[in-house]
Amino acid sequence: MLPDDLLIVTRVAQPGMLVRDVFHECLSSRVQSLPFRDEAGHIAGRVTLKCIANRSIVPEYVVQLARVVGDRLATFEEMERRLPEVFGRRVEDYVQEPHASIPSATQLMKALAIMEHYDTSYLFVIDDGSYRGTLTIQGIAAWMARFDQGD
Amino acid sequence: MDAHGNIASHVVFGWDPIWVSTILFVLTYAVIVTEKVNRAIVALVGAGLMISLGVLNQETAIRGVDFNTLGLLTGMMVIVAVTRRCGVFQFIAIWSAKRVQARPWAILVMLSVVTAVFSALLDNVTTVLLIAPVTLLITDELDVSPYPFLVAEIFASNIGGTATLIGDPPNIMIGSAVRLTFNDFLINLAPITPLILVVTLVVFYFIYGRGMHATDERRAHIMRFKEREAITDVPLLKKSLAVLGLVMVAFLFAHPLRLEPATIAMFGAALLLLVTNVGRKAEAQSESVHRRFGEVEWVTIFFFIGLFIVVHGIEHAGVLAILAGWVLDTTGGDLAVTALAIMWISAVASAVVDNIPFVATMIPLIKSMAPSFGGPEGLMPLWWSLALGACLGGNGSLVGASANLIVAGMAERAGHRIRFLPFMMLAFPMMLMSIVIASVYLYIRYL
Repeated sequence: MLPDDLLIVTRVAQPGMLVRDVFHECLSSRVQSLPFRDEAGHIAGRVTLKCIANRSIVPEYVVQLARVVGDRLATFEEMERRLPEVFGRRVEDYVQEPHASIPSATQLMKALAIMEHYDTSYLFVIDDGSYRGTLTIQGIAAWMARFDQGD
Repeated sequence: MDAHGNIASHVVFGWDPIWVSTILFVLTYAVIVTEKVNRAIVALVGAGLMISLGVLNQETAIRGVDFNTLGLLTGMMVIVAVTRRCGVFQFIAIWSAKRVQARPWAILVMLSVVTAVFSALLDNVTTVLLIAPVTLLITDELDVSPYPFLVAEIFASNIGGTATLIGDPPNIMIGSAVRLTFNDFLINLAPITPLILVVTLVVFYFIYGRGMHATDERRAHIMRFKEREAITDVPLLKKSLAVLGLVMVAFLFAHPLRLEPATIAMFGAALLLLVTNVGRKAEAQSESVHRRFGEVEWVTIFFFIGLFIVVHGIEHAGVLAILAGWVLDTTGGDLAVTALAIMWISAVASAVVDNIPFVATMIPLIKSMAPSFGGPEGLMPLWWSLALGACLGGNGSLVGASANLIVAGMAERAGHRIRFLPFMMLAFPMMLMSIVIASVYLYIRYL
């Protein structure tokens, strides 16, 4: 059973929610992603800060060539100007495939192994389709640190 | 048993092999055209049916697979997968933009020339994957529309690819089937491609070039680009360029060296993997080799395998001999008429359907015309017609070549959609113009 104090309880993104709400929720909860619940009430995907940034703020060609451009670029200024418009968009455009999840009865070491398996730093905790919270690598690290007996 | 040792077809239920193979062939191509199912799956299912229904036995089917084409494609894909990582192609693209003081029209010309040259030496898709991001960034920074730049690069990639044996899959297939060397393509096709590119750019100048302007401030941004930063791995750069250079030299001397292009490409790939992995830990080597092999376009390779067998099926059943007879009847057996007809039909067909299956079908068809034109030597103008038509025809529409679709996809993700119809309104007449130039060249030189 996962210790309750390790779970970060967040809101769930849903149709109609705005990008700014996702940002505020992720920043206040210190997570990088929220699960997305569709109109039928199922956890159908996730919305990540990285995806929003990649799809709407930083074009892929800038990502590929970031090393070669100068430090001041009109393209960067344009990206900054676009931000207010991006925050007003609905999250549906940014929904990605469902993320790896575990039930709350999972042992912590198994959760760690699943994180490694999927090469991710967080997992959604879902019981019978109901979202309980997010388990992060920082949470597991904090739990592991309790075993540190010092020198 | 035929002259090649192939056993006659034993089709199930005693069905006529001509009809069975024709129906399988048409069905396979029809499903490929719809793009509802991955083309490699379709070709392999078609090949499986060709064997299962008895049009071909397994030995004969394998004989239909051109392993020289597969080896050349795979070897070059591995070489490109390793070389592209060092960033040299982006370096050259940015360097060339700065060489012309970041003037928009001059950049368009430079990037088109760079694209054409790279496309002649690498595959077109890789070339545009490397050049298009640079183009989008530069045009963004100059505050000019990327559309004419990207369209010019599409044209340049297909024109450049026409010039060499390794530039475009149709050339690889033709070269392998007819045992033409790298030099044969250089001598026969490369001379016309610069002219076609120049004429294309002149047309672009009158349509777009005269109205292209960028402020001094924006141009100064481009001049501050640090192209040396594009080089991410200097040792890899040196090793890659050395091996790529060796491969090119080997292609040039393939005939006296008695080496097939596939051998050169595969040996080059192996050599490059060796020099980039030797001295590393076994685990790191495994991971690196696994990744580079993973970058080979296996869908294309398996598509070729299936296609070769499907086409061999109709060839073995005698369908292509019948078709060749029909073509010769239509053209009156006149070499000039046949060559020009092949070029124009190839161009139009390649503009609307994938040129790989088209060329795969045309190769045995043309081969079977040899007796009417005094043997294999007499077919040479027809091979150049096919290569010019199939490669340049890719410019006729957005679906004419894979590189076109790659550029369109990147442009769309960057918010600059290249629409099918407006593109075709410009591209198709320009493609026809290039075919007119190629026809005149072919007529003067060979007919």
